[in-house]
Amino acid sequence: MLLLPILLALRVAEGDGDLVVRLQRRDPEALAALYDRYGRLVFSLIVRVVRDAGIAEDLVQETFLRVWNRAQGFEAGKGSIAPWLLAVARNRAIDYLRSAGGRERNALELEETAHPALWSDIEQSLLDSDRIRRVKAAMDKLSPNQRQAIELAYFEGLSQSEMAERMGQPLGTVKTWVRTALRSLRDELGTAVPA
Amino acid sequence: MNHPELRDHYELFALGLADEPEKSEIREHLSRGCEVCMAEIRKAMELAALVGATAPAAAPSPKLRRRILASTGYEPRRIGWLPLAAGVALFSLFAAVYFSGRENQYAQEAANLREQLRRQTIDLTRLNEAFAILAGPETTVTTFGAGPAPPRGKVFVNARQGVLLIASNLPAAPRGRIYEMWVIPKRGNPAPAGLFQSQADGTAMHIQRGPVDVAATGAVAVTLESEGGAAQPTSTPVIVAPLER
Ligand SMILES: [Zn+2]
Repeated sequence: MLLLPILLALRVAEGDGDLVVRLQRRDPEALAALYDRYGRLVFSLIVRVVRDAGIAEDLVQETFLRVWNRAQGFEAGKGSIAPWLLAVARNRAIDYLRSAGGRERNALELEETAHPALWSDIEQSLLDSDRIRRVKAAMDKLSPNQRQAIELAYFEGLSQSEMAERMGQPLGTVKTWVRTALRSLRDELGTAVPA
Repeated sequence: MNHPELRDHYELFALGLADEPEKSEIREHLSRGCEVCMAEIRKAMELAALVGATAPAAAPSPKLRRRILASTGYEPRRIGWLPLAAGVALFSLFAAVYFSGRENQYAQEAANLREQLRRQTIDLTRLNEAFAILAGPETTVTTFGAGPAPPRGKVFVNARQGVLLIASNLPAAPRGRIYEMWVIPKRGNPAPAGLFQSQADGTAMHIQRGPVDVAATGAVAVTLESEGGAAQPTSTPVIVAPLER
């Protein structure tokens, strides 16, 4: 959809830092503004995971309430709150998916509230429309298997062994796909770690 | 375990795929505030967020915003998103301008939208003016109208560029009458900010170019006036959009 990136770009322009401070003061207008800025992005992510709009809306609500209740633990830097919000959303959605599927809940590697400092310095423009287009292009360049592996991990919360089972491939092969995919994404996006 | 050995594991960690012993090792580094690992994990979480942002765009029902705000005990005064009628059409147009000449893949899209543009009888100059206001870094946005019947929309105010009003549900002005926009200072009399008519579908876009003292402005309003406009409002406003401070 053409509109989303431009709306995001416009809305993100004013910065999230003030919003976080206002959330910490429990200013409901700040929650409204946060929702206006990121509600669609959060919904898009969650509905991609759970594939049901009604359930997704419940989980979006849970996500924003969690942010509302836990903003105190967030370090209000100058950066974007979006990655944190998306991490909260993804955790909620994957928890739901796993419990609905009768699968064990994977211990989360990273509770999103565990290390507030981790989220405080993320550049405001991280999720601008150009970036999102670049990552989409980078995903399109992956081989179908590599791409599927990344999507199964991110959007379905599968471990590498679960992926191997789902894809009917040896674990080693899946691990190679994942690593290769991550390396190409990193390179394409210019986030390469110097050796 | 040293950092070069952990190097390939941060992104796996961020995606929830890290194996032992690296998983515990990274956790341990984070919990003692290891700067190297913090920086690497931050980068990895950014990559993960970007993957998340590739989910196909979807829209929740407009009721969801109210529901979320209500669950915090707050009664929202404003609606969350541009009313679709005005919003989709207008923002598509802005997107066309924004992307034209920048991205080949949007060329076709832009062509379609230009066609739409002709039908909307909004000329490109006005669109560019509107976009200048929209895209201004310090532009403030105010939403007005909540119920099903009254005019709804948004007011964008940029100190250097001016005021942009986008409305829907705005019925055609009666014969001999016209809509007039006002910039209302916190103290003193409303200043006339241009005349406009709504489209047949009840949408309207109105631009008042020129600098605005945003801090001194309390609201933007619209009244119905006789055709030549008025120096001061003579009727009850059909739109009042108090600026957020
Ligand atoms: Zn470390």
